[in-house]
Amino acid sequence: MEYHAVPQPEEIEIRERDDAMGAYFMMFATTALGLPLPIINLIASIVYYYVNKAKGRFVQFHILQSLYSQIPVTALTTGVFIWTLRNFFGGYGFNNYYWGYLIMTGFVSLIYFIFSIVAAVKSNKGRFYYFVFFGKLAYHIVFKVRDEGVVNTDPINKAPRM
Amino acid sequence: MHKIVKELIIILGIAVLIWLGIAYLDIFPRHPELISEETEEELGDKYLEAILKNPQFTQCTNKFIINSVDSICNRLESAIEDPVYNYNYVVIENSMINAFTLPGGNIVITTGLLKYCQTADELAGIVAHELGHAQERHIISRLVKELGIEIITSGDIFVLGEITKTITSSSFDRKQEEKADEYACKLLQKAKLEPRILARLFGRLKEDTQNNALKNFEIVNSHPNFSSRIKNILAFEVEDTNHVDTLKINWDEVITALGNSNEEE
Repeated sequence: MEYHAVPQPEEIEIRERDDAMGAYFMMFATTALGLPLPIINLIASIVYYYVNKAKGRFVQFHILQSLYSQIPVTALTTGVFIWTLRNFFGGYGFNNYYWGYLIMTGFVSLIYFIFSIVAAVKSNKGRFYYFVFFGKLAYHIVFKVRDEGVVNTDPINKAPRM
Repeated sequence: MHKIVKELIIILGIAVLIWLGIAYLDIFPRHPELISEETEEELGDKYLEAILKNPQFTQCTNKFIINSVDSICNRLESAIEDPVYNYNYVVIENSMINAFTLPGGNIVITTGLLKYCQTADELAGIVAHELGHAQERHIISRLVKELGIEIITSGDIFVLGEITKTITSSSFDRKQEEKADEYACKLLQKAKLEPRILARLFGRLKEDTQNNALKNFEIVNSHPNFSSRIKNILAFEVEDTNHVDTLKINWDEVITALGNSNEEE
């Protein structure tokens, strides 16, 4: 599988660095709005991706890495929200699985928060920073060489079979 | 691409391990806080009322027995630093050997248990254990977990009856029993009583159960795992400064009064 070359810090403009960093800070800015259901963070990240995706692979990589890593965090937090409501209004007990899930979600969110800050700082310096799994996935999507230049010679409109 | 999938599997594995690991550790409360202590006390009174309506559980009215039990319980209660409830002790006329905690700090002791105890200190051991369940709010946690808040706060008489059956017969889980034992040892020590007295009583119960010498051994069903619990109680570290001051109650007189009380019926 072929990949495009990774740009070096000197090749990346300040504007691109800011936009890349913005992908991570978007999450912090919308956290207050999104709580307790952080779906707003996710929607904001998707919008941010479509607005900035044409700004080069460096920006696109960081936005996608931030977006992909937000998906499980959002799913987990939504799970906590629904489970808590169910326990409160459904009269169910707060069992050990609930507490385990809550702590695990808190732990995952904390890790995500720390990694996002590090990534934001690095991206502002024109550097790449790869999260486990999400970093590789974003790199694969953004930097994979696609068959964009190859022209399809097969005619779209064809004569009927006789 | 394989590496990406591998990393995804590792992340998911770690998350599931953390989740189940914390769930297995059982370190969090089952949220008894969802029911206030006041509500719990109201519930406890309803449950007690439902129990006492059962002809098999009539309340003991013999003043000598009640005073003796109260003096044991008061000695223990005065050693509790931060009591969660205003405790209420009820002796019921029933040959079943058992003591159980109701929500809201109601502790029920059967005359069968009083007769089975050889000394007042042994009864103090059992009461201290029940106080442990009460202080840790084990009973309301168990009810919330097993039945849910809506059912346990329901005023329906049939539901109340079924809940009281659950309370009097089913057991707490192993960790809750161990915690109540540990609490009992500490409380007995503070009250200047022998902290390991429960080991003697449990040992006798275990032996009598094995020899089929007990007919009404409800306490064995509701307080399982005697062997490991005896071991833990005996391993309790007694403070050097501990001076045991045995209860000054003539237990033989209590036993005699229990006999008279039965004859009066």
